[in-house]
Amino acid sequence: MERQDRRIGFLSAAPIGLILLVSFLAPLLVIGIFSVMPQKVFSLLNIPDFSSYKLVFTKGYSKSLLWSFGMAMTSTGILFVICWPLAFGMAKVFKSFSLVITIAVVVTLFVSENIRLFGWVLTLMKGGLIEGHLRTWTGFTFEGALYNVPVIVFGLVYAYFPFMLFPLVQGIAMVPDDARQAASDLGASRWQVFREIDLPLSAPGIVIGGLLSFVLAAGAMAESKLLGGQTVIVIADEIETAFTYGQNWPLGSALSIILILIIGSLSVFGVSRVNLDLIMGGKRS
Amino acid sequence: MKMPRAARAALYLYGILTILFLYLPIISVGFASVSKARYLTFPIKRYDTKWYGKAIESSTVQDLLWTSLSVALLVTVISMVVGFFGALAFARYQWRFRRTFQKLILLPIFFPQAVLGLALLMWFNALGVIPSWKTAVVAHLVWISPITTLIIAIRAYSFDPALEEAARDMGASTWTVMKEVTGPLLLPGVVSAGLFAFLLSWGNFPLSLFTTGADSTLPEWLYAKMVSGYSPLVPSVGILSIATSIVLLLCGVITMWLLRPRNKFSSAHTG
Amino acid sequence: MSAEPILRLENVSKRFADFFALSEINLEIQEGEFLTIVGPSGSGKTTLIRILVGIEELTEGKIWLRNTRIEQLPANLRPTCMVFQSLALFPHRSVGENIEFPLKLRKQDPKRRRARANELLDLLHLPQSFYEKRIQECSGGERQRVALARALAFDPEIIFFDEPLSALDFRLRKDLEKELKDLHQRTGKTFVYITHSLEEAMIMSDRIAIMRRGRFEQIAVADEIYARPVSRFVAEFMGEVNLFDVEGTATGGLKGDGVEIYINAGDSGHLLNLSAGMRGVLVVRPETVRFMYPGETADFIVKGVLRAEYALGSRTQYKVEAQNGDELAVEKLREDRFLGQVGDQVMLGWNVEHTHMITEG
Repeated sequence: MERQDRRIGFLSAAPIGLILLVSFLAPLLVIGIFSVMPQKVFSLLNIPDFSSYKLVFTKGYSKSLLWSFGMAMTSTGILFVICWPLAFGMAKVFKSFSLVITIAVVVTLFVSENIRLFGWVLTLMKGGLIEGHLRTWTGFTFEGALYNVPVIVFGLVYAYFPFMLFPLVQGIAMVPDDARQAASDLGASRWQVFREIDLPLSAPGIVIGGLLSFVLAAGAMAESKLLGGQTVIVIADEIETAFTYGQNWPLGSALSIILILIIGSLSVFGVSRVNLDLIMGGKRS
Repeated sequence: MKMPRAARAALYLYGILTILFLYLPIISVGFASVSKARYLTFPIKRYDTKWYGKAIESSTVQDLLWTSLSVALLVTVISMVVGFFGALAFARYQWRFRRTFQKLILLPIFFPQAVLGLALLMWFNALGVIPSWKTAVVAHLVWISPITTLIIAIRAYSFDPALEEAARDMGASTWTVMKEVTGPLLLPGVVSAGLFAFLLSWGNFPLSLFTTGADSTLPEWLYAKMVSGYSPLVPSVGILSIATSIVLLLCGVITMWLLRPRNKFSSAHTG
Repeated sequence: MSAEPILRLENVSKRFADFFALSEINLEIQEGEFLTIVGPSGSGKTTLIRILVGIEELTEGKIWLRNTRIEQLPANLRPTCMVFQSLALFPHRSVGENIEFPLKLRKQDPKRRRARANELLDLLHLPQSFYEKRIQECSGGERQRVALARALAFDPEIIFFDEPLSALDFRLRKDLEKELKDLHQRTGKTFVYITHSLEEAMIMSDRIAIMRRGRFEQIAVADEIYARPVSRFVAEFMGEVNLFDVEGTATGGLKGDGVEIYINAGDSGHLLNLSAGMRGVLVVRPETVRFMYPGETADFIVKGVLRAEYALGSRTQYKVEAQNGDELAVEKLREDRFLGQVGDQVMLGWNVEHTHMITEG
């Protein structure tokens, strides 16, 4: 049975493996090669150079990187704080309400991100849902909450909320109830239970949730464009510009590779520390 | 549990507020879609559903619908099949590269979609393939098949391998085992994965933006109109898009519900 | 010296929606005693213990620890500790860290904690090298001891046990029962233990409290409960038993409306304290019943047929079908076993001094 398992396992993995090989790893390889091509060429058949990388570091593209990572980190931190109580409720306190929240949140994921962000524009703009009604009812008016950095972070928090929530729920669900009760029984205050039991035992969920939110936020583009009005240019935006208007594929590739390397190493590091069978199967080995 | 009443009530309240917060923008779009005015301001002075009519009649919108639908359907079918086998490789069979495979599957999910879209654009260009809605299918698959794999894998974890072994013991071939035992057991997972696949593809923007080429999906058009050249059709088209999602979600839920009692092999949860 | 009880429960009740898990529980626990609460599943014993520890709240009633009311006190402030059924050891910490946990919470310095942990490892017969060991690497019996060590670490006044041995195999259980008893004697602490196994209760406890459907049926030492059960339930709970519904006669005798009992006792009926017309249950333990040979007499005699014989090692159990169809159980030590065959006609007898009368109100 074991040898058959091995063979079938390999075969089963083949379809998706093939897709990923051809449409994921190959393109990445292409980007890698393009990143060391001379400026503004469109073919891979050139002599490699590192001009693009030099450009990245000299021409201040690192500013976009810092903005992206800074906002991603801020939004991830905020998400952790706001999602934790809800995730705790869903994992330990609510019974059927848990399902209600799950469905409600999942359904928002099916609504295109654009539409939802557009909805925030409508809500927050001058003349929008909030300001318009406020003005008509109280005469109080404000300039509209858009086109600044905080609203971009707000957009990131909104967009990636489910990606922090669900892994957290899974993680907290893994904390055995009796361990919490025993800790309390042995003298731990609520805060001590949180620090000594909840945090360490739900670590896999925290890691995945945090990683997912951070990575997706770092590569996000729509929030800064629609909500922020481009007051800040994020790295994904620079990459897009380089590829389209800038007509500079090597530069775009170099920027992408840098982004991918940073995100990639974080992901690999985080995911390797987590036992996937545990968090997905819910069984303690 | 030991939670004091006040804290528990506060938690429920928090949950409800969160849901409201999540839906607030959608409500705004909803309001906007029934505003008579061409340019949006709140409070809405006059209500009218004419924009819906215009949207449905518009041939542009119909093309978009068709494109989005084609992409989504193809992605759904393929990712369901791929995900089924992938899930088995992920959770069920002990084979040599399983751990590596698990980590590999996760990578596309942790990847910024805009960058992925651009990378694929370049890749297609290098291969000499002209981007169209078909290439968008490939792009969506890269991101969505890992997701369907994971969804089905969750189900595969609670699946008792003894059932398959018993079938084999009774003389069934590998193919028969898969058809008679594994398939039916994982079917609910496959259906919900398919649902996810359709809806995620239907609403996807970053990947579509770069890989559809001359064709355009609904989200792409919406984005273009939001950024420049605003059209009053935008809110209505948006709501129509959402409505389609909801209809599909309901269909999926009904399918799941229909599937349940017929599943004789209720998988036993070990432990 | 009649000491003040260390724990006193007054009319404790716990209600869940529409049913009472506990109804007006009254109990006094003496300091240093080993009390076991026994009962079938659903009797409420786990609920009771969780309320005493503070993980659950009672609906009504008062609880005193010495002279302090504690029912509103949260679990982490009570000087009590519980050993969970699942042991609830922290999987992400080593053996030593688990044991030191309560001390770390109380901000003891590492040196003192370590010393105390070593002390406890010794007390529980675990080698010092276990300090660094991962919980996952410990066997069932070892984990038990770690859980005990952790519970003792901060020197609680009372230690509660929620069926800790039920998941272990027979041999291990037997060993740990003895160790627990031993531990109790060495530490002198108050142990409150719950189990559904009567045998376990009888081996380890000073007193036993039989619980059923949220109430205590009887609280007494083992022998008392065995010899003088106060209800049908307790009698049956304590093991194989023969029960006869009887009624007092005007002449001070007994009238059984089940098995026909030839009462040869003359005026011994009055010893059983059943007045005329009053109903009761006559309790006869199988080991007090003997097979009568011709010429022997007894206060109570029943005729029947031997239907089954079970050899159980040191004892042998017999089932006899009486003339009216009732089944009686007889138990004899192996060396006193019945020398007849299954299917034989037999005569069973027992004396008044071996019986007990339950008069259920």
